Amino acid sequence: MKSRFLVLALILVMVLSACAPRAEEPVVEVPAVEEPVVEEPVVEEPVVEEPVVEEPAGEDPMEICDNDDYGCAVIAPGQTIKIGMGSPMTGGNAAFGIDAEQSGLIAVEDAGLFNGFQFELIAEDDGGTPEGGAAVANKFAADPTIVGVAGHLFSGATFAALPIYEEIGIPMLSPSATNPDLTRQGSRVFNRVPFTDEAQGNAAANYMYNELGFRKVAFLHDGQDYGKGLAEIAAATFESLGGEVVELMGITPGEADYSPVLSTIAAKDPDALYFGGYTQEGVVLTNNMKTSGLEDVVFFGCDGTFGVDFLTRTGANGEGTYHATPRTPPETPEKDAFDTAYQTRWGQAPGELSPFSWNSYDTTTMLIKMVEEVSFVGSDGSLYIPRGALVDAVRELANYIGISGTYTCAPVGDCNVEGPTFWIVENGEFVAVN
Amino acid sequence: MESEKKSPPKLTRRNYSKIIRPVFGILVVGYILSRLYDVLLVQQAYTAEIWVRLLISGLIIGGVYALIAIGYTLVYGILFMINFAHGEVMMIGTFAGYFLFEATKSINVASAGNPPLSFSNAYPLISVILAFIVGMTVAATAGFFLEKIAYRPLRKAPRLIPLISAIGASFFLQNAAQLLFSPQVRDYANPQAIARGSGWTLIINDSRVIVTYTGVLTFVLSILLMIGLYLMVQKSKLGKAMRAVASDKNTAALMGIDVDAIVSRTFIISGALAGAAGVMWGLHNGLVHFFVGFLPGIKAFTAAVLGGIGNIPGAMLGGLFLGLVESLGPTALGISYQLKDVISFVIMIVILIFRPSGILGEVLSEEKV
Repeated sequence: MKSRFLVLALILVMVLSACAPRAEEPVVEVPAVEEPVVEEPVVEEPVVEEPVVEEPAGEDPMEICDNDDYGCAVIAPGQTIKIGMGSPMTGGNAAFGIDAEQSGLIAVEDAGLFNGFQFELIAEDDGGTPEGGAAVANKFAADPTIVGVAGHLFSGATFAALPIYEEIGIPMLSPSATNPDLTRQGSRVFNRVPFTDEAQGNAAANYMYNELGFRKVAFLHDGQDYGKGLAEIAAATFESLGGEVVELMGITPGEADYSPVLSTIAAKDPDALYFGGYTQEGVVLTNNMKTSGLEDVVFFGCDGTFGVDFLTRTGANGEGTYHATPRTPPETPEKDAFDTAYQTRWGQAPGELSPFSWNSYDTTTMLIKMVEEVSFVGSDGSLYIPRGALVDAVRELANYIGISGTYTCAPVGDCNVEGPTFWIVENGEFVAVN
Repeated sequence: MESEKKSPPKLTRRNYSKIIRPVFGILVVGYILSRLYDVLLVQQAYTAEIWVRLLISGLIIGGVYALIAIGYTLVYGILFMINFAHGEVMMIGTFAGYFLFEATKSINVASAGNPPLSFSNAYPLISVILAFIVGMTVAATAGFFLEKIAYRPLRKAPRLIPLISAIGASFFLQNAAQLLFSPQVRDYANPQAIARGSGWTLIINDSRVIVTYTGVLTFVLSILLMIGLYLMVQKSKLGKAMRAVASDKNTAALMGIDVDAIVSRTFIISGALAGAAGVMWGLHNGLVHFFVGFLPGIKAFTAAVLGGIGNIPGAMLGGLFLGLVESLGPTALGISYQLKDVISFVIMIVILIFRPSGILGEVLSEEKV
């Protein structure tokens, strides 16, 4: 009896430890735009008069929907056109999700009214995990008014969410999911704007070998889709350049102490420790390195470890560490306008929480623009959005000028393949080195 | 029992598993020994300083596990239920210590100097003692109310009911903390004198091994608390009453022991220990968030089972053992660190195969079971 009870309890423990509790889902309501009238001061006549601008002449709107591969999303008057976003908004990597949401909200506000319809950003917490990604995707798929997803942010969550959107025809445009395999599986709906992990891994290995002169490097990753892929690519490139990969190992994400694994690595006497993963683990690793015999070894992170969180939580330990970001956006009036709006609205500068603020704004805006391009108002006053046409429109996006630069999507869905900027931490600040 | 004696032994499913289990155990032990032999004697890749570093981190985390494990074992010993919300009690203690350090950091004792000297840096000893007192008090209060609200009404219910209530309480506390304190990960503001990462330096094989102040504090304090608890349970009147309630509630009540009061005090004691573990965790690892108690709680439960649940020295031993296995195991066996939990669980299974009631587990009487 007792042993059976214990076994039961143990099984329970294992099940429990397998499923972390889902944080309650913060559905973020977009605050109503206060001055909708100011948005369109030039309208001479009531908008309702002749809204059917995009409708091809002589064609029945219903026919477009019938002929569309996925049918139409119908937005009744009074409803909002919803853009989804799946990102970690709780836990150690919450900064990424919060940043993306804040940027997306500004994009939605900037979009204003479209034919009398308002856009709304639905940011859901997927925890950055595959389980969370699938859960959020299912939730979005069940909502007929969600027409596009500006995400997901993390590669692992994106992998899990992708097939669900594929089935229902929701186009994805991720600001930050960089795993190379995401665009290799022939998905019709998935697109992204960041450089791939392949580009980053190669660039990082090159930079470490050629610019910094490292010959022995240990590669760690968090065992997830993004970090593992990145570390493996970087390790392979580093080896092909002639460097020695002293270790290529995964760690369990979410722990508070990595000194045992670091002590083991110290035995191999590396010049640097490359880490593919996210801020949470990067911070703990950097702090633990000082007490594990790796105090003189350089921590080389990635775009997952970049962010103001890393600086505040590592303090002096973070000095001299390297990180990567997507290319920094050029200084343009549009960037200025966004930066000001972000600063006023959220009280901090974009790019502080995560390097993906501008990408998130761009992806949300691009989805909104594509929705505006393909949709039309039917005779019943509802907005019709042919899903298949929208999916294709996002994929065929060309020469779109956003804040981060000019986007043109390749047929596989990579909309921007430019390599990363590397940063070193000096006196508590990120300084670009290339 | 009776029927087994009469009928001749057949190869029933039960007998089958009796053979399979030891065979599995022996295979695993054999594999572990062969890996140990390979890494320690054949490869010899790691020198003494590496082992010392691993040993240190193992002892520190083991001390924390042991303190939390005692909470599981005390409650199990008295109520025969597993208090799955115990990790959350630890989390509450961690937060209490966090806020105390934030408070002492914000009080300036001398306005001269830039930055001005804060209370926690001027009197590190006092602020650390205060943090432990506050952390332990708050966690003990949490433990007290946890029992009152979630377990006492279910005292007479079947055994699984309080267990489910415990899981519910655990989720409730986690989510309450998430709503109250936001899901943000925060850092403990240690007094500068015991900043994380600072410590004594040993020179072994020409390389520096840092023994952190926070690590020593954690280990020494956890050992002291364990000794104190053990003496209290063995020598004091309260301890005697606790042992009496543990062995038989009804008889204890007949002897004039207030069972409810003893159960409450048990929860207070286990909560205080968890609170101390939480403050140590914060001081040493520096992270505090609503989820911080979950993993240590699960690990400590494992440690309690490993040592023999219901047995106090067993929980201490189990905690230290688990800490050491987690820290040394992957390196000593030459297995990836991603699999460290697998290693600990496999070792636990092997131990439970040969000693089903844990390392120091007692053979329980029928009515206790």
